[in-house]
Parts: sequence; C-alpha cells; structure tokens
Amino acid sequence: MRNAVCWGGALVCLSAIGFAMSSYHLELYQKLLLVATLAVGFNFLFGISGQIAFSHIAFYGIGAYAVVILTFKLGLPLAVGIVGGIAVSALLAAMVAIPTTRLEGFYLALVTLAFAQLLLVALGAGGELTGEDEGISGYGLPDFFDIPLTGAAYTPVIVFVLLMTLAVILRLDNSYFGRACRAVRDNPTAASAMGIDVARTKVIVFVLTSTLAAIAGMAYAFVNNFISPPIFELDRIFELLFMIIIGGTGRHAGAILGAVLLYSIQFLVEPLVGKFHPLIYGFVVVLVILFLPKGLIGVWDDIVARRRRAAAPGKPS
Amino acid sequence: MAEIGELLVSAVASGCIYGLMALSYLLIIRPTGVINFALGEWAMLGAFAAVALGSDLLVPALQLPHFVSLVLVIVVIAAIGALTEILTVRPLIEKGAPLLSPVLALLGVLVISLQVGTLAGGTEALPAPPPFGFRRVELGVFAGTPQAFYVIATAIVVFGAAWLFFERTIWGKRFEAVAINRRAAALMGINLRAVGLLAFGGAGAVCGIVGVLTSGGSGAFYQMGLPLAIQGFTALVIGGVGRVEGAILGGLILGLVEAFAARYLPIPSSLVLGVPLVLLILFLLVRPTGLLRAREDGI
Repeated sequence: MRNAVCWGGALVCLSAIGFAMSSYHLELYQKLLLVATLAVGFNFLFGISGQIAFSHIAFYGIGAYAVVILTFKLGLPLAVGIVGGIAVSALLAAMVAIPTTRLEGFYLALVTLAFAQLLLVALGAGGELTGEDEGISGYGLPDFFDIPLTGAAYTPVIVFVLLMTLAVILRLDNSYFGRACRAVRDNPTAASAMGIDVARTKVIVFVLTSTLAAIAGMAYAFVNNFISPPIFELDRIFELLFMIIIGGTGRHAGAILGAVLLYSIQFLVEPLVGKFHPLIYGFVVVLVILFLPKGLIGVWDDIVARRRRAAAPGKPS
Repeated sequence: MAEIGELLVSAVASGCIYGLMALSYLLIIRPTGVINFALGEWAMLGAFAAVALGSDLLVPALQLPHFVSLVLVIVVIAAIGALTEILTVRPLIEKGAPLLSPVLALLGVLVISLQVGTLAGGTEALPAPPPFGFRRVELGVFAGTPQAFYVIATAIVVFGAAWLFFERTIWGKRFEAVAINRRAAALMGINLRAVGLLAFGGAGAVCGIVGVLTSGGSGAFYQMGLPLAIQGFTALVIGGVGRVEGAILGGLILGLVEAFAARYLPIPSSLVLGVPLVLLILFLLVRPTGLLRAREDGI
C-alpha cells in the first residue's frame, strides 16, 4: 500500500513539473525522462548482467518505428500497434540474443553493433514504409477523453513508462533472478556450477531490457510526432554507456544520476566551450574509468560511509 | 573479362585496406585481449595528417613529398597508440581491473580522437593527391588506378613484415607467449609493459598507413572512422583472430564479396551497405573462430 502511494506520488510530481515549463523546456524534460528510462534498462543489461550490447538504442528505434508503421502506415488500431510493436521488438531481441549468448567476450558487442548498423541501412532503404532518410512525420495520438495528448498533457505517459521500467527492473533485481544475473556477470562458470542456466539468464535479460527500450521508443515517437534515422545512430549508445559509467555502473541510482547529469550538463557547458563539448566529454569518461571506477555514486557511497564511521567511533569498519 | 579484371583490382585494393585494419585489431587483441574500437578513428586522424602534410589543403606551407609524409604519419599515429596504452590501458590492467574497463576507456579515446579529427580537419571530405597520379595501369587483364596497385603493394609489404615479425623474431614469439598465457609469460621474464606498448604502437602505425592510403583514394573525412572500424573487425572475424594470415584473408573475402554483391546482386544499392554486416553476423554465429585457427603448436 505504501509502495503504491510512493509510485503514485512520483507519477503525479514528475508529471506536474512538466506543466510549469515553456514548450522548449518541456520537450527537453520529456526527452530527459526517456533518456533516464533507457539508462535504467541499459544499466540492468550492461551494468548488472555484464552484457556489452550496442543495440539498446536500436531497439528504442525499433519500438518507435514499429508503433508508427503499424498504426499509421498500416492503419491498425493504436492498441494493436503497441502490442504488435512490443511483440516485434521482443521477437527481434530473441533472434539476436539466442544465437549470440553462445559467444564469449566481446563478440556480443560486435553482433549488436552490426545489428544496429543493419537497422540503419534497412531504415534508409525502406521506401514509403520507413520514409527513408526523411523519416516519418505528420501522425499523432488520438485524444484521450477529449484531452489532446500533446505538450504537457503527454508527460504523464512518459513518466508512466519511466516508472514502469524502474518498477520492473527493481522487482527483478531484488529477486533470485537479479542475483543470478550478477553471478553470471562475475563468474559464468561458478554461476553455472551453482545451477544457474547461464544462457537462459542472458537471453531473458537481453529480451526484457531490449523490449523495455522499445517501449520507451514508442513513447518517444509521440514527443514531436516525428521520427527519423539519425535519432537512433550509434553515437547515442556511447552516450548512454558513458552516462552509466559516470553515474556508477550497476547501480540504479547511478544510472539515473548519470543520465540526468550528462543530459542536462550539455546545455550548461555548450554555451561556455562551444564545439569542444564532446571532446571534454570524452576526457571525462576516460578519467572516470581510470580514477572513479565506481562512478559518481561510488563517491557518494564513500562520503556516507565516512560519515557513519565518524558518527560511531571505536567500531571497526 | 576485362571488366572482371578491373573489378578484381578495386575489390582486392579495398580488401587490403580491410585486411590492414584487421591486422591492427589483431596486434592488440592477440597479446592483451582488448578490442580497441578507436582504431577506425586513428585511421581517420592518419588520413587528415596525410592531407595536412602532403597536400596544399589544411597546411598549404608544407606539401612534403609523399614518402616523407607517410613516415611522419606512421610515427605520429604510432605515438598516439603508444600514449593511449601508457595513459589509459596500462594503469587499468595493472590495477587488475576487469578486461571490460580498458575497452570502455578506449571508447572514450574513440570519442576524443573523433572530436580532435573533426576540430582539426573540418567536416568536409579532403582529398590528398594520389602519389602516382590518375593514370590507368594495365597488367594483362587487370587494370586500375595506380592508387589501387599502390594499396595492394603496400599491404603486401606490411603483411610480409608482420609475418616475419611473428614467425621470425623473438618479439613475435613474446607476443604469442603473452597471448597464450599472460601470467606464465611474465614469469618467464617477458616484459608485459613492452609487449603492450609495442602492440598499441604497432596497431597505431598500421592505422596510420591505412589513413595515408585512403586519403589518396576517397579522401579524408571525419566520418570515415566507424566504417573502417566495422570493416576491420568484420575482416578479423572472417579470417580468425589467431593469425596474421587470417587478417588479410578476411579482408580480401570481405572486399570481394562487397564488390561483387554491389555489381551483381539484384538488390537496391542502399541495401548493399548491409552485405558486410550480414556477413559479419553470419560468421559470428556459424564460425566465431574464423576461417583460420590460432596455431597452438611450435611456438
């Protein structure tokens, strides 16, 4: 009960913020929420399960394109479009995951990188259906009980997707399955000896997080009612990866912190350093990996731990 | 027949470029196990450096002779590779960080290299003058630009040198020993630092050569790095990560498949871009060890 109140409160508060914003800031805020959603899912895939998959943004794109194509190009009802989009994404994710989990090391990275590039090639050659390089625009959600779902009124949908993703991921992480994922990441051989089905665990994580990314992509498709290939390009998966590394790999709070920080900081830093901004970004990532392997959330943990030790002297730490 | 001869020359020339990229991946992966996604960007830096040193673009005052600028580019990019190893990879490996950490740090280096290249070279494609002009060279049925033959000849020299290095020098044996068992190699007195430094420096040098060669063909362009990176590891996966011969074999197969698919497959040209990617996925799924396996005997 208390839990439900918390989630409900978060939904109301995060949505309410959107109503106080200008349309420019609102769009950035909505995109920020979606980036945080992606970061939470990708953190489970990369940080907690240890799979370096460069396909997370690709599935974001698949979700967006699937719902738009099914609903507005093929004329299916919206609900069918959403369910169909989820089914298509899950199926594609399973097709990528089932054969690749046999591979070790960085091969998953290579397959998913090729898959993501292949998606871009397919989008660019899809003719009428994908709008090729121009993308698709000029569609829109139907009104929800006479409220047009645009601008601030659309924020609750995005917040719902974020909270749902977070709830699913937290629920999983606090179960047997989450511990199994960590075991598979740290030592697959030992995990397998403990009776964990390594391949199955990997496939489930990949399909689940990729589908969550696709759902976030569906929400993205209606932020501007416009989708095009550049939004799903490879640079963005690096950004996502760096958000998690800087925030704190494997920590949910770290993923959200990294996403919020890196997303908002670009608007503060860009006016100051201009086009040098991505360069600084690269240096920061390297420095964090070298000197703060636990990310910013690790710094916070250290501060908390030191406070506690100072508050209770005499106890061995 | 003449048409096929011409197609073969250009296909083999691009195959040689892919093979060289694969070789630079291999030089690092073999001893360290690290896959360096920044290599494509280093080739891009090499291409811009070649344009700056050897042409009247970027730095018009220089216009050095081709082979002087080739050597300079090799030295500069090799130095970038060596510096990267000293500053990012070595501290992580010596700290005992998981192998993932250097790979991620190198992704950071990728972003840095890409940005440096974009800031220094701009976002327009800059062609360097091909060192042997634009004539048409014919060798029997094989015909092509002098640049294509120059690329093939350079690849033969580089692969010959790499083969000699691995098969005939004590440093090559050290690389193999570290690849097979890092710990045992260190206990046998092999200097892991020197091997790592040489691996990254060598990979950088090969990327520099690739940069010079491509700048004389399609020109230097800030977005050329990622395709080169992908083609390079596709070639590596096809040929197998264990052996130098695998890198050039994979490169040639990729170059030929790409060229003949573009010429003869009845699919729209925009989809031809996907052919190497499909090839990569197929190979990873069907034969992840590549065509040639690492030699485990006679080290």
